[in-house]
Amino acid sequence: MADVVFKNVHKKFGDFIAVEGLDLSIEEGEFVSLLGPSGCGKTTTLRMLAGLEFPSSGEISIGDRVVNDLPPGKRDIAMVFQSYALYPHMSVEKNIAYPLKKRGVPRSEQGPMIARVAEMLQLTPLLSRKPRQLSGGQQQRVALGRALVRDPKVFLLDEPLSNLDAKLRGIMRAELVELHQRLGRTMVYVTHDQLEAMTMSDRIAVMYDKKLQQFAPPQEVYREPANRFVAGFIGMPSMNLIDGDLSQEGDRWMFRSGSISVPVGPLVADARGGEACLGVRPENLLLGEGPTPAVVQLVERTGHENIVVVEIEGGLRMTGRVPASTDWKTGETIQMSIQSEAAHVFAAGPTGRRLNIASVAVRP
Amino acid sequence: MIRRVLFNLMAWAIVLAVAFPLFWMVVTSLKPQSELFRRPPTILPEVTTFEHYWRLLSETNFLTYFQNSVVLSVVTTVVVVSIATLGAYSIVRFKYWGRESLAFLVLFTYLLPSVVLIIPLYLMLVGLGLSNTIFSLVIAYTTFALPYALWLLRSFMAGIPEDLESAALVDGASRMGAFRDVILPQLLPGIISTALFTFILSWNEYLYALVLVNSDNTRPLTTGVMNMLISSFNVEWSLLMAASVMMSVPLIIVFAFLQSYLTRGFGAGGVKG
Ligand SMILES: Nc1ncnc2c1ncn2[C@@H]1O[C@H](COP(=O)(O)OP(=O)(O)O)[C@@H](O)[C@H]1O
Ligand SMILES: [Mg+2]
Repeated sequence: MADVVFKNVHKKFGDFIAVEGLDLSIEEGEFVSLLGPSGCGKTTTLRMLAGLEFPSSGEISIGDRVVNDLPPGKRDIAMVFQSYALYPHMSVEKNIAYPLKKRGVPRSEQGPMIARVAEMLQLTPLLSRKPRQLSGGQQQRVALGRALVRDPKVFLLDEPLSNLDAKLRGIMRAELVELHQRLGRTMVYVTHDQLEAMTMSDRIAVMYDKKLQQFAPPQEVYREPANRFVAGFIGMPSMNLIDGDLSQEGDRWMFRSGSISVPVGPLVADARGGEACLGVRPENLLLGEGPTPAVVQLVERTGHENIVVVEIEGGLRMTGRVPASTDWKTGETIQMSIQSEAAHVFAAGPTGRRLNIASVAVRP
Repeated sequence: MIRRVLFNLMAWAIVLAVAFPLFWMVVTSLKPQSELFRRPPTILPEVTTFEHYWRLLSETNFLTYFQNSVVLSVVTTVVVVSIATLGAYSIVRFKYWGRESLAFLVLFTYLLPSVVLIIPLYLMLVGLGLSNTIFSLVIAYTTFALPYALWLLRSFMAGIPEDLESAALVDGASRMGAFRDVILPQLLPGIISTALFTFILSWNEYLYALVLVNSDNTRPLTTGVMNMLISSFNVEWSLLMAASVMMSVPLIIVFAFLQSYLTRGFGAGGVKG
């Protein structure tokens, strides 16, 4: 059963369009990430769901109830803000108790509920402190505690980990996943960090330039990106995107760009020849073998593998990944080829759709 | 090194220049009449007496004036702070046409010399049937304290993150509830500084009080004391000094307690406004 539904939602601030034609249907108990670069409308989307902004047109419902006209407090949601938004003049305990107090939970019942959450988030020794006496990680837990103390239908989280250091972020990621499994509640999670989205979500809603680009499970977003933007945005290091020309030769399609010439396909029925873009994941760039000579420009050692940037004739640069045992030097000339059966083809333009038919075999 | 010494000297010179009249005021109010005009003057009184204070309290209208001043200043402060708080909230949080220009217009009214407004204001208050009442002074002081208060509170309000209010709304508070539970406590330093400015302004105001109010049971301290102790022929120095000391006491007490808030207020008004 769909729990959260956006139906053709638009949001304008004056003349400025922040979200355009959003259709999104989130299942009950699902963990969904809104992923996209800064300014693409993620926060606005989340705030509309929370009732802090009102859509200019379209319909939003939570659990079969259209909530367009409901104030935030009546939507049965809880939200964690990027800034945490802890009430500075209240102790940790008062902060966590606030949503209970505002919903008329009797004082005698508040105690055990706060204790339970504090226990779960290891906040018990901090209950009497003020927010400014806490570290960033602790403040983050309090913000989480304030959301968890009730049992709302939907949890909304706006980049909750972005202010933490890398290590703590990793820990909190795992904890949030565990929390989601334990509570089984619908969670909508805004982030610009693809690692967070990939590791935590059941499905990812990739947004760009006010619009939803793709809504699919992480593996699908990675393997079958809906368009050029998604292909380039998901994956580290990112996919090589090569602009060139697509043409039909007999019964097969060829992609050409400078010295590159690879067969592609099968393509969708309505694919046309002309300007197009070839997408090759770094792992599908075969370095050290093949017909094309390439000059090594940069070798980045991550420990368990090396990220290698090469340049071929015509000045085109591409990124590949190879085992850590290879020891190429900058300036060295190597051979390479493109694993064309794993390559994608996109129509021209920044969000040109994918033209090759999905589920191409991807060699590891 | 030399520069530091010079700087210190200068600072102390300024402190002395400001403090000496205050010191002299207290000392004079404690000297008996006979010692007042002696030459050379005595720095510390040879005989300390509280007779002037006693005379002031028992034989004059001082207490009535004092009470008028307290009522006047407190009511003005409450009115100004309440309106300015709500106004600042509106200007900062809601988006409507002319919001920014409104804020500047408000500041602009503050640039008008208040003397210019006395006559029209007086005529309006007479028209309202309020002449010669304490309330007419409350209205008059509100007209010139409010713009500044609004401007000051606006910069305090702008410093409160909007997320705090959003969080309270999500947590189930109404807009009024969020305002009361979250905004007001954050605004407290701003409210206190604004209240202090308004209170001091109303407490010390002279010109409007002189023009708008001229019966003995509605006069505030400033005009009341002047009227009673200073005439064309004579100045009652001892009584005047005693009255001045007593006029200053409430301000000094308030200042002592709230000093840190007040300096913060200067900072906010100066930097952000
Ligand atoms: N209250 C607002 N008034 C005007 N423009 C806004 C407002 N909130 C957001 N925007 C604009 O809408 C766009 C999307 O913002 P946002 O949803 O915060 O992006 P994201 O969270 O994806 O970084 C941005 O260009 C931002 O400047
Ligand atoms: Mg955002």
